[in-house]
Amino acid sequence: MALNLVHRHVLDDHISGFETGKNPNHLSVARRPVIFSVLALQGRDGDVGAALSSVAGFSVRCSGPGEWLIVSDTIGPEAAAGALAAIDGATFADQSDGKVLMALYGPSARKILAKCVAVDLHRDVFAKGYSASMLCCQVASNVMRTMDDQFEIILPRSYAGFVFETMMEMGREYALTAGFASP
Amino acid sequence: MSSFRLDAGGLVNRSDALSFSFDGKSFTGFSGDTLASALLANDQMLVGRSFKYHRPRGVVTAGSAEPNALVTVGAGARAEPNARATMVELHSGLSAVSQNRFPSLKHDFGAVNGLLSPFLGAGFYYKTFMWPKPFWEKVYEPLIRRAAGLGKVTLAADPDRYEKSWAHCDLLVVGGGPAGLMAALAAARAGARVILADEGFRFGGSMLSETVTIGGLPAQDFVRQTIEELATLANVTLMPRTTVFGWYDDMVFGAVERVQKHVSQPSADLPMERLWRIVARRAILSSGAEERPLVFGGNDRPGVMTANAARTYLNRYGVAVGSRVAVFTNGGSGYRTASDLVARGIEVTAIVDARQTAQDTVPDGVRVIRNGSIISTKGRHRLSGIITARSGFEEVISCDALAMSGGWSPIVHLMCQRGAKPVWSDEAQGFMAPDVGAGFVAAGSAAGVERLSDCLRDGAAKGAASAAALGFAPYDVNTPDVEGEYDPSFAPLWYVPGARDKAFVDFQNDVAVSDLGLSQREGFSHIEHTKRYTTAGMATDQGKLGNVATIGIVAGMRGVSPAEIGTTTFRPFYTPVSFGALAGAERAEHLRPVRTSPLHGWAKKNGASFVESGLWYRSAWFVRAGETGWRESVDREVRAVREAVGICDVSTLGKIEIFGSGAAEFLNRIYSNSFLKLPVGKARYGLMLREDGMVSDDGTTSRLSDSHYVMTTTTAYAGEVLAHMEFAAQTFWPDLDVRFVSTSDQWAQMSIAGPKARVVLSRIVEDDISAQALPLLGARTVTLKGGLQARLFRISFSGELAFELAVPAGYGESVADALMDAGRDAGITAYGVEALNVLRIEKGFVTHSELDGRTTADDVGLGRMMAMQKPDFIGKRLSTRFGLTAADRLQLVGLKPVEIDKEFKAGAHLLKENATPSMANDQGFVSSVCHSPTLGHCIGLAMLKSGRERLGERIHVWDGLRGTDVVAEVCSPVFVDPDATRLHL
Amino acid sequence: MASLITCPHCGVRPKEEFSIRGAAGPVRPSPSARQEVWHAYAYVRDNPKGRYQEYWHHAGGCRRWLVVDRDNVTHAVFAVIDATEWHKTAGSRI
Ligand SMILES: [Zn+2]
Repeated sequence: MALNLVHRHVLDDHISGFETGKNPNHLSVARRPVIFSVLALQGRDGDVGAALSSVAGFSVRCSGPGEWLIVSDTIGPEAAAGALAAIDGATFADQSDGKVLMALYGPSARKILAKCVAVDLHRDVFAKGYSASMLCCQVASNVMRTMDDQFEIILPRSYAGFVFETMMEMGREYALTAGFASP
Repeated sequence: MSSFRLDAGGLVNRSDALSFSFDGKSFTGFSGDTLASALLANDQMLVGRSFKYHRPRGVVTAGSAEPNALVTVGAGARAEPNARATMVELHSGLSAVSQNRFPSLKHDFGAVNGLLSPFLGAGFYYKTFMWPKPFWEKVYEPLIRRAAGLGKVTLAADPDRYEKSWAHCDLLVVGGGPAGLMAALAAARAGARVILADEGFRFGGSMLSETVTIGGLPAQDFVRQTIEELATLANVTLMPRTTVFGWYDDMVFGAVERVQKHVSQPSADLPMERLWRIVARRAILSSGAEERPLVFGGNDRPGVMTANAARTYLNRYGVAVGSRVAVFTNGGSGYRTASDLVARGIEVTAIVDARQTAQDTVPDGVRVIRNGSIISTKGRHRLSGIITARSGFEEVISCDALAMSGGWSPIVHLMCQRGAKPVWSDEAQGFMAPDVGAGFVAAGSAAGVERLSDCLRDGAAKGAASAAALGFAPYDVNTPDVEGEYDPSFAPLWYVPGARDKAFVDFQNDVAVSDLGLSQREGFSHIEHTKRYTTAGMATDQGKLGNVATIGIVAGMRGVSPAEIGTTTFRPFYTPVSFGALAGAERAEHLRPVRTSPLHGWAKKNGASFVESGLWYRSAWFVRAGETGWRESVDREVRAVREAVGICDVSTLGKIEIFGSGAAEFLNRIYSNSFLKLPVGKARYGLMLREDGMVSDDGTTSRLSDSHYVMTTTTAYAGEVLAHMEFAAQTFWPDLDVRFVSTSDQWAQMSIAGPKARVVLSRIVEDDISAQALPLLGARTVTLKGGLQARLFRISFSGELAFELAVPAGYGESVADALMDAGRDAGITAYGVEALNVLRIEKGFVTHSELDGRTTADDVGLGRMMAMQKPDFIGKRLSTRFGLTAADRLQLVGLKPVEIDKEFKAGAHLLKENATPSMANDQGFVSSVCHSPTLGHCIGLAMLKSGRERLGERIHVWDGLRGTDVVAEVCSPVFVDPDATRLHL
Repeated sequence: MASLITCPHCGVRPKEEFSIRGAAGPVRPSPSARQEVWHAYAYVRDNPKGRYQEYWHHAGGCRRWLVVDRDNVTHAVFAVIDATEWHKTAGSRI
C-alpha cells in the first residue's frame, strides 16, 4: 500500500479561505521553502561562513556565532543537504518543516515590524542583507531585511499561528493583507 | 451660547462648531478647543467638587497639571475617569460628567464635609476613625470610599484595541515648545534622527499663548512654519498627543500616544492608544515651566486660575475667562496677562502686586495695588470678588475671575525618575533639573531659562550640541528675534498671610496650609512624611502644581531654606497611563504565545480535549460517542494500548540535535549514566542531574551517526535543557567540539504503542522493523511507503511494545491519518496525555511529579544510572554527600488501597498507623495517582521514608485538604508486567 | 518598561530577550576538589550591592551565554562579554 501523504502548511487554517487581493502592505508566507540550520564545528566559523556565502542559490541568515539559517527557493532539500555536506567543518539539520518563512513588505513594513521587534530597523542600522535572531511577537525568530521595504521572518512552526495573528493585528492600521506566496 | 468666546483670535476654527455635553447639558465649542476652553467659553466655570471637602472647584490651569477639572469622559465601557478637561481635545459628540458630587455639581450633599472641616484635617483617617475598631471595616471605610476618591472606573471590558511599538532615535526632544522646537530643528538640520514628542495636540507650547512676534511672524505663525519644515524632514518624527511619561534604564523612554482619544468615531483598525518605548541616544527635556498658584485664603474659588492659563484661554482659544478680571501676582506674568486682556477689551479691575516695587508694564487705566495681598474671596459657584488687604486696610474688589501668578517652576520630573533629586536654586527661587549626565539635558524654561528669546536660543544650542556630540556635522541655527516679549521674573512668595478662609496648596487633594502646619506639629516634618500625612502631591497630581509651594511653606514654617527640605520622590508615570496601553495587544488569549503541535488538527478531528501544558495545547483525551466522562475515555484508551494498539502525539517533547567530535564526551559529562559507548543506531535513556546531585530531567538520546545524536527532553524542560547544555558547553568545556540546535518544531512525533504496534506500523513503513531489525532501543532512519524519510525509535513509555515515529512536521497529520487507517482493523486508538500518565504510573515510570528537584537518582530507584566510574559528570561530586545517601531518604514506592474501592489523591501525606498528622510524623507523600483500568482500582506512586524496605507495610494516606484517610499497602512501583516481557515482544 | 543589554554578537537588545542565571564569578571546581569547595560552588554566593558580574543567556537572540558586568544599583553596564571569552581571560576578572 503506497501512502498518499499530503503536506500541510501550519498556516493553512489561518490563510486558506481568507485570501483577499494584495494590498501594498502584504505578508507573504512561503509554502515550501528549503531551510537548514547550519553549525560550524569547533574553530571553523570563518571557513563555514565563507563557504556558505559562495553557494549559489543559498540565502544565508546569521543566527549567532558560527550558526546560520540557509534558505533557498531554487535548490531542493536533497541538493541543499548535499551542498552543505560538502562544506568542511559544517554540520546541519533540515528545518524546512520546523520553520515558517514570512515576507513582510510594503511602504509600512518597517512600521508594522517595529510593533513586533525591539531592534532598530532604520535602513542605516538594519541594512539590506542584514539578518539576526531576535524576539518577534515574543517568539525567538530570525529577521532579515531583504529589500528596502521588505523583511523576511523565520520562526518556529509551533508558534507560527500566534505570530501570524499578532502581526496581522499590528498591520491592521496599514491594511495589511496576507497570503501564500505564489510558487 | 454665552459670550465668553471672543469674536476673533485664537487657534480655534469658528467654522467648525462641535456639539458636546457636560453633565447632560448640551454645549457647543470649536475644533481646536479643549474641553476646558469650550466649557469656559460657555460660562461653565464650575467643573468639579474637591476630593475631601467637596468644595466647588473651577479650571485652574490650561495644561496637564490641572488639579480640579478632572472629569469622566465617555460612557459605558469607554468611560474614562479623571481625564483633565484641560487636555481633552474637543470633538463632536464628546460627553463628559463631573466627579465627586451627589446628586449634582451645584447641590452636593458632600459639601457638608466643609462644615466638618475642622475635624477633617491632615491625618484625619488615622485619628477620627479609630474607635470602635470593628467600625473601620464596616462603617467608616465604606463611607469614606463613597465620599472620597477621584472618579469611578468602569467594570466593563475595554472594547478598544491597544498597541505597543518601539522607536529609535539619535535625539528625543520631550516637549514641543520654544526650546523643544528649536532643539529638534537644530539637530534635524545637522542630520540626526529626531523624535519630537508633545503631550498636547498642537506643537508650540507657550508660543501658542503669546502675542509676541518671532522672526517677524506672529508667534502662532512662526510655530506653524517651523512645524512645516520639521514635517518635511525625513529624519524627523513628530509625535503630537504623546506624553513621555517615564525615563528608564539605558535611555529608554516610555511614552503613550493617544491615537484616537480625540475622535468621534474611532476606527476599528487603529488602536485607541499606543505605548511607545523610545530608545534614544540622547534626549532633551524641554517640558517648560509650570506657573505656581499663590497660596491665599479662598484661593480655590472657581474663577481663580493661573495668569498663564487666563492668557492661554484668551490668546490660544479666544476665550475670556471673565468679564471683569482681577490679577494677583508677584512677577511679570500677571502684568502680561492684564495687558493681553485689556488689549482684547476685557476689563481688568485691579492688579494686586505682592511686591513693593516692580518694573513691569502696566496697561493703561488699570489700577495697581502694590504691596497688596488677598486674604479672602467671595462668590459661591463662581468668584464674585476678592478682599484685599494692605497695611491693615481691607477692600472688596469685585471681579468674576482672578489671574494669579506665583512665579515659575521648571518641569523636571522626567529627569528625576532615576534617583536624582532636583536642585534648589536660590537665584531662581525654584528647583532646577539635576545633572544626570550629558545624555539627557534640560533646555529652555525646563532648565530655568526665563525669557522666550533665551529659550529659543537655549533649545537651538542644546539641539546642535547634542547632534555634534553624536558626530553630526555642526549646523548653525539662527535663532529668530523676538519682539514684544516680557520679563517673567518674580519675587518668591510662598504664602500670603492673614488668610480668612482655607488657603490651599494642593487643590486636587484638598491640602491647605493649616494641614501642613498640623503635620509639622505632629512630628511628620520630613517632606516625605508631610506628603503622606497630608496627602499633598499625591494621586494624579504627583507633585506638579502644589509641590514647590508645599516645600516653600514647610521651609518657612521650619525657618530653613527649601534646599534643606528637598523634594519628594518623582517616579513614573508623569501623568496616568491606562492599563490598556500598558498591556497593548498582550491580553486575553494573546497574553502569551500559544504553541500548537503539528498533530493538532489530527487530534481535533479525532475528538481531542486539549489541556494547556506550558505554552502548548496537548491532547488530554479523545471522546467517543456515548462516553459520559473523561475517565471513561481514558480507561478505554489505556485498555486499547495494553490490549491492541494506541497512537499518541508526542511532538511536544523537546528535540535537540547534537553534533561534533566531542558530542559523545559531552553527553557522557552531562548525563549521569554512560554514553561514550552508545552504538550508532541505538537510543539510551539518560538522566541529567543538577550540580547539587538532584535529578533535573530525563529523556532519551539516540546516536544517528558517529558524531550526530538526537536528544529528546520532556515537554516542560525542553528550553531549560537546551540552555543548560549551552551553558555547560560554553562555560565548562568550551574546548569540546560540540554543537546543538533545537529541531523540536521540525518533527511531528507519534508514539505507537501496544502489542499490535509493529503490525500496524509495518503497514506504512518500507523497512524491516522486526525485533531483529529494530530491537528494543533501536533508532534509525526509515522510509515510509511512498518515499517519505522518517526517524523511528523503539522506545516505550507505557511498558508495551512501542515505537516513536518522527516525520517532517508538515506531513504529521497525514501520516497520523494513514496510521489510523492502517490500524483500524487492529483497533488503533488515539490516546492523550491522561492515558499516557496512567500507562506510566502503572509501570512506575517517573515524571516531574517525582523528579521535583528534591529527588536523587537512587530515590526514584535509578541508582544504577549513576556511572560513578566516570571521571566527571554534572552532579557527580555532590551526589555522594551524606544527606543524599542517607538511609531514611524518601524513596519511590507504589501504593494500593487495602479496601480496593477506596481512592486517594496526589498530594496526600503518609502516616504510620495511629500517628497524629504532624511534620514530625510525616512519612512522605503521594506524587502521582490514577485509576488503573488494567488492575481495576486506584494506584499511586509515592515518596516514602526508606520506602524500598517497607514493601508490604500498611500505611495511612492522609489528605488533610480533602479530609480523607485511606489505608494503603506499600508495594513495588511497577504494577503491571514487572518482568517487562511485553516490552520485548 | 525596559532596559537594554548590548550583546557582543547581536547588538542592543531589550532585557526580555535574556534570562539571567546568577553570579559568573564561581568557577566549576575540578572533579576531585574537596567537598567543601563543591559545596561553596553549588550554594554559596555573595549578594553584592553595586558592581556585579552575572551570566545572561541571550535566549531570544544568538543563544550565547554572556557575562554582563554591571552595577545592580544603577544598572550602569561596564561590559558584556561572551562567557567563553570571559573564562579564557580569567586573569582580567574584576
Ligand atoms: Zn546575542
